[in-house]
Amino acid sequence: MTTTITADVFQDLKGVGCPMNLVKTKVAFSKMKSGQVLGLILDNGPPINNVPRSVIREGHEILSQEQLDDGTWSVLIRKA
Amino acid sequence: MIDFTEEQLERYSRHILLDDVGVDGQEKLLQAKVLIVGAGGLGCPAALYLAAAGVGTIGIIDSDIVEISNLQRQIAHFTKDINVSKVDSAAEKMQAINPDITVKTYKDYLCAENITKIIEGYDFVLDGTDNFPTKFLVNDACVFLGIPFSHGGILRFNGQTMTVIPGQTACYRCSFRTPPPPDAVPSCAQAGVLGAIAGMLGTIQAAEALKYITGVGELLTNGLLTFDARTMAFRKINLKRQVKCPLCGDNPSITRLVDAEQSVCELKTDPVAA
Amino acid sequence: MQITVNGEANELNEAEINLAKLLDIRQVESPEMVAVQLNGEFVEMKNYTSTYLKTGDDVEFLYFMGGGSR
Ligand SMILES: [Zn+2]
Repeated sequence: MTTTITADVFQDLKGVGCPMNLVKTKVAFSKMKSGQVLGLILDNGPPINNVPRSVIREGHEILSQEQLDDGTWSVLIRKA
Repeated sequence: MIDFTEEQLERYSRHILLDDVGVDGQEKLLQAKVLIVGAGGLGCPAALYLAAAGVGTIGIIDSDIVEISNLQRQIAHFTKDINVSKVDSAAEKMQAINPDITVKTYKDYLCAENITKIIEGYDFVLDGTDNFPTKFLVNDACVFLGIPFSHGGILRFNGQTMTVIPGQTACYRCSFRTPPPPDAVPSCAQAGVLGAIAGMLGTIQAAEALKYITGVGELLTNGLLTFDARTMAFRKINLKRQVKCPLCGDNPSITRLVDAEQSVCELKTDPVAA
Repeated sequence: MQITVNGEANELNEAEINLAKLLDIRQVESPEMVAVQLNGEFVEMKNYTSTYLKTGDDVEFLYFMGGGSR
């Protein structure tokens, strides 16, 4: 049985390259409370390789990441 | 909380990306007020970097006009600015780099009479003056008002800087006590200075201002950073608050602001060759 | 006598030496442009001749540096 986690805040960063995708992620986190979940859509390639790594480094927790049919990635992150 | 515009997010992205600065730090910068004393060798690079960083309000005070001999090191002034007031010239470049900020210009000499009124309300003061009476005056006023500041000096191939948190860390008088006799002082005009030294020192001072505002790292307090560009040897000399300091010691003898001998205010009527 | 001057170890041949003499030996061209710190404490210029150094002392010459705007 799986529980569905829903994002408290959602940001579609399709087409947003590095490093602005991370900048926008950080801005989103700055407006959220600790424990809330941020949902992101990230492009394949450098964005999915870099953004999760950076948010982990800042102490946040990646809850899930899965590739969608169009090749982009859906990522759920819990704010530290 | 500030709602950053798309343009601001891009402009300040390299700050926001820094873990220790981030969104909060950039917000603090945009709300901060820094006064730069002197739009010369140290003040110019500091002013450009602070403007670029998005320090929301930057005051800059200088009564001089741009001369051709300034251009070798006073990097905000261009050949077209000769005979223009230094603060207007600097403000133009600061606004060109970043229209987001407010620049306040003061075409004035700092002296005991006006300094309190001018520096009150600023969060941080960056001393880039050329003369010792003003350096001591800035120190004294900042200590009285409790405003943190950065001292900076350059000569020939050398530079020195320290940051002072009044009441907590060594002040300029703790180590230097009183201005040297005016006739012993070699000015840049007499002694010369390698232009890039001004940039090295002024940008260190700017970094200290940014660190103070954002709370990043450890400030250059209780230590005098000195360097000799001929060998590129940097040294940090440990300093401490002196109980006998006439200003911030246990029994201070300086209890009000006074202009030191041959004050800059006197120079106004008796100009020395620049 | 072994002392430290501006962070560097110095061996002095003199048995007795005061700060005024040290400034002279170190060829400090204008002593008025230097503030002296002995073991972390500021020394007033009027006390240079009466301040004798001993082994292990740490002396710093802090140069007055103006520069900047003009
Ligand atoms: Zn003091």
